[in-house]
Amino acid sequence: MRISRVVSACALSVLSVLLPAATAHAQQAPLDTAARAGEPAFAPTFHAMLFGDATYLGTNRPVAAGFMLGQAVAHVIGSLTDRLAFFGEISASALPTGYAVEVERSFLRYDFSDAFKLSGGRFHTPIGYWNTAYHHGTWLQTTVSRPEMVKYGSQFIPTHFVGAVLEGSMPQGPLGISYTAGVGNGRGGIIARAGDAGDVNGSRAWTAAISSRPAALFGLQLGGGYYRDRVTPTTGAGATEGTSSAYAAWERDPLEVIAEVVQVRHTSLRGDPTTTNNGSYLQLAYRLPGAASHWKPYARAERLRTSAQDVVFAPLLLGYSGVLGGVRYDFAPYAALKGEFRREQFQEKPWTKSLYVNVSFTLPDVGGGDNTQMTHP
Amino acid sequence: MSRSYRTSLARAARRGVTAVMVAQSAILALAAGAAAQTPSSVAIAIVVNPASPMTNLSFAELRRIFMGEQQYWPDRSKITLLVRAPTARERSVVLHRIYDMDEERFRQYWIGKMFRSEVAAGPKIVYSSDMALNLVSAIRGSITFIPASSIADDVKVLRIDGKLPSDPNYVLR
Repeated sequence: MRISRVVSACALSVLSVLLPAATAHAQQAPLDTAARAGEPAFAPTFHAMLFGDATYLGTNRPVAAGFMLGQAVAHVIGSLTDRLAFFGEISASALPTGYAVEVERSFLRYDFSDAFKLSGGRFHTPIGYWNTAYHHGTWLQTTVSRPEMVKYGSQFIPTHFVGAVLEGSMPQGPLGISYTAGVGNGRGGIIARAGDAGDVNGSRAWTAAISSRPAALFGLQLGGGYYRDRVTPTTGAGATEGTSSAYAAWERDPLEVIAEVVQVRHTSLRGDPTTTNNGSYLQLAYRLPGAASHWKPYARAERLRTSAQDVVFAPLLLGYSGVLGGVRYDFAPYAALKGEFRREQFQEKPWTKSLYVNVSFTLPDVGGGDNTQMTHP
Repeated sequence: MSRSYRTSLARAARRGVTAVMVAQSAILALAAGAAAQTPSSVAIAIVVNPASPMTNLSFAELRRIFMGEQQYWPDRSKITLLVRAPTARERSVVLHRIYDMDEERFRQYWIGKMFRSEVAAGPKIVYSSDMALNLVSAIRGSITFIPASSIADDVKVLRIDGKLPSDPNYVLR
């Protein structure tokens, strides 16, 4: 509690110093630029990308199978100045009762430099790799769906974060170090949700993460981080939550290797012993050479174990083991077909088998305001 | 063998030799042309706005700029990356040497970069070396690549790892 207050106070101090500087800089920069080079003043730009997917599921699990729509996601970026940009993302997810429309991300970021970028709003929480690298972009990820611990509506980690984030990178060094630090509301009363309408318990969450892209090992990214919060579920006991994460990702054709581990520790506010919950996965993929380069076979093994004594997770029955194998076929520049077979075990129940066939696509730069942008040349 | 037949044969032989010589010349010309077309023989110059204080980049720095990992120059001015449209030979060299990607992976890379909010926009596309030169000489903080043979006076050519395009062992060929 004391730490989170100190972090909040520090964050407010940093914001109070940086925001006026950002405003002054934002007002001055275009004028300076125009005066220096005789260039036209910066014109605001707008870009939008759409992501969508649909899946056929055949399974012996006791769930609704057949054809199903995935998430339709609209991602927008508006540059207000050459340093100030808005990033937004809205999703529509098919549910048995209709569609759930959600503001996934909505934040404003000011770039002081590569080393200091300050944002405020709703983010993908910088825990691990997958949650920020792919998240709603089904077409971007090799597999049909995310690992269990970062799945849609995940309760294991807080996938979204409402607050302020300072991030940056030191690209000049040989290690290519980047960092992210943030303070925000933490989990809501429904722990899968971020505190969009305010902090439910008055104890701010904070997060810090660091990553490296070594110049000598082009394609490799290593990272780790810590997230701290006090969780107050609408049902069950509250707890302080400490989430440690680490990952290694190699994404340079033809090989893709992503390994991630996350540990969530809960200390009950009513004095129960501290419990530890672990999630991990390893994903391998290989793009075939030459004329078969549109094909990418892949496999993943994952495991999620929660303590039976955990005051937050135990009632939620999150335990999971799974192995999957499949192949991705990029049949068009912005569309992919994926076929995937899974063996899964949910919370020590009998193993199940499922077959997924998924088609995903993206429409890059829909209605982009600047026709010289080159995300899809 | 009649005289007229021998004359015809000689004429045909001469034609044959001529045809062989023409074919040989054509093959040699094609081979020379092909050699000129291969990425390894074309030097690509990295050019910046003449007002830029930069004179040299390491290959690692160049890669980070082209990958969008470094978006500001050391003087904190914004980097504007100009990239030639597909099918240009210099683009193939840059995708191969700097990005180590094919066209498909390159597009996917920038879509992912924008999706992760790491950049507010992808590189700007240019459709000719002249367009690249015009824009890079007009936009402060811009950087692009052109064939070394197209270098003009109103842009600055950067050394890469201390080497110019005319130097032996220059990395962008």
